[in-house]
Amino acid sequence: MSQALDPRAAAHVSEVAVSVELQTPGMTLNIGPQHPSTHGVLRLVAELDGERIVNVEPVIGYMHRGYEKLSEVRTYPQITALVNRIDWVSGFANEIPLMVAVERLMEIEVPERAQSIRLILTELARISSHLVFMSSYPLELGAATPLMHALREREHVLELIEGATGGRFHPNFNRIGGVKPAAGGGSTQKKVVQDLPKNFLAETRAAMDNVLEVCDDIDTLVTGNEIFQARTMGVAVLPADQALAYGVSGPNLRASGVAFDLRKHEDYLPYHKYDFDVVTGDNGDCFDRYRVRVEEVRQAARIVNQAIDDLPGGPLQAKVPRVIKVPKGETYVRAENPKGEMGYYLVSDGGRIPYRLKIRSASFSNLSILPWALKGLIVPDIIALLGSLDFVLGDVDR
Amino acid sequence: MTTSTPDETAASEPVADAGIAALAERVAGIAGSDSWTADFGNAKVRVDRSRWVEAVEAVRDEAGLEFFSFLSAIDWSNEVAVGEPLEDPVEERYEVLVRLSSGRDNDAVTLATDIPKDDARLPTLVGVYGGANWHEREAAEMFGIEFEGHPNSGKLYLTDEFEGFPLRKTFPLLSREIKPWPGMVDVEDMPSTENAESAAAASASPPGDAQEQAMPQGDTTKGDENPEADAGGGEQADSPPPTADRTDGVAAQLPSSAEGAAEVPTPQSPVPSEESEAGAPEDEATE
Repeated sequence: MSQALDPRAAAHVSEVAVSVELQTPGMTLNIGPQHPSTHGVLRLVAELDGERIVNVEPVIGYMHRGYEKLSEVRTYPQITALVNRIDWVSGFANEIPLMVAVERLMEIEVPERAQSIRLILTELARISSHLVFMSSYPLELGAATPLMHALREREHVLELIEGATGGRFHPNFNRIGGVKPAAGGGSTQKKVVQDLPKNFLAETRAAMDNVLEVCDDIDTLVTGNEIFQARTMGVAVLPADQALAYGVSGPNLRASGVAFDLRKHEDYLPYHKYDFDVVTGDNGDCFDRYRVRVEEVRQAARIVNQAIDDLPGGPLQAKVPRVIKVPKGETYVRAENPKGEMGYYLVSDGGRIPYRLKIRSASFSNLSILPWALKGLIVPDIIALLGSLDFVLGDVDR
Repeated sequence: MTTSTPDETAASEPVADAGIAALAERVAGIAGSDSWTADFGNAKVRVDRSRWVEAVEAVRDEAGLEFFSFLSAIDWSNEVAVGEPLEDPVEERYEVLVRLSSGRDNDAVTLATDIPKDDARLPTLVGVYGGANWHEREAAEMFGIEFEGHPNSGKLYLTDEFEGFPLRKTFPLLSREIKPWPGMVDVEDMPSTENAESAAAASASPPGDAQEQAMPQGDTTKGDENPEADAGGGEQADSPPPTADRTDGVAAQLPSSAEGAAEVPTPQSPVPSEESEAGAPEDEATE
């Protein structure tokens, strides 16, 4: 039975035997699609070597709703209702770049008051989105208390948004050329109508005080916490060049030390009128991504306070044709959304519906760096990184 | 979609866009192209398909546009299954767009290339920008464009069994096959009725539309070309409530407009689509 092997084959056999003996068998771990840490229906297929991650393949598309196709059969005012649902944690902010894109092609000048109201509500949406992050991220890492503090204030902010727009998550409040007049307000061209609810400004100011307070609370509870720091500091570092090449934007990019904020560079809303700082991190790790967001809430509250101090009067709506027809042309408008760069590439052929509407959502690109960033880390870091990227699956899948 | 020569663009653009025109011209020089536009704040440079990867790489390195914003495509098609057809005939092609921007200032540019429909292939950009990976997978499954050398050709959003390419203009939208325009009965004017024509003509419309709106009522082209053509502007507070006559008109129109789909379910049966909520009022009308 025994057969003499030639020396080369024998050496090969012994090599294989040794490597089989020493290697722990690889394992494929399936996380999701329904998993508490994945913020929605995201599935990760992780190849593990022991606790080390060899490769992670995100499987997305469980929430794909085909908004780009649906936009091609809808009039421009109807599309507003769709785009609310892309990133539902900050629904209001999604509407802005689309409106600005349409207004740019139609060459409509939006009244100052409408622009300021848009700006205030966008910043409120940013605060509520970041407060969700500030509650859910410590929770994923094992701290349940901050959730109570952050969500309580977020509820107050949502009440403000609801008071002004009528919707907590899906305001559908923007109109081409301005914002929606109050119900029963009649023609916005002829007289100034009661647009913001009574006491909105005073309540907003009070809410901002509470928001600043809760930021301090979160700092006390979480930022200095040794366990939290051990889980996040130096974990899943995104270098600036990789983050840029993957299109990672927003707070995630700024945490990597890139001081890039579209509110400073683009003029889609009058941010130039207000003082605020662009917050950046030093290391690009999970801790920086957390810290940048807490600080951004403070800056957003600062912007809101300035904006309600000098809220201009005047009409809410520019004069627009009754039937919205957008002249032939194409443009791209991007905005600094809570999650990052949100943009719409709008191609119009002169009709009432777009010929093509490409939706550039922030979370999609932010999440696409996941396989690169997770290589070589350990399993608990998946949760730390996923949470710190602060994505919403509706924004990933569109 | 006309590509203006640099001279024309510079002459016709307002002063505010001069910076964008200058950027477009500079990037066009780097990309080795002489075709660019700078309309509506969008600096767009057309590059040749054969120089796609090297042009993008040169723009990244020499213009400093290191942020990968998105990659997508436009299906320029004279035949559409849904939506409005193009006014003027175009050359059938896919236009692939990639948007690059700076991480320091507001420099941003759209690079575009045309690929023919019978040979929809383009080399991948994954080696230049890591972020192109998912965007190219999306464009591949949505438009049927093959990105040569892509490390992962699997579907991204769609299931593996999915057939067809949804964002192609010839791909039908099932819900619109069944109900051509859900929601128009309760809030919007009917197309090709007297109300819509006169209301549209009376409203302030862009100058270019005045002639079209003033067409005699007997003209049938508007009504026939597309049932969606006149359904816009529904959000306005002052649009008149629908009358009973017009509601009946829709009910009578429905079967004929849906006859393309052979096995159309009765309007009362649940419609397997995301449009069901908007279709509810129409169901009542049909009953």
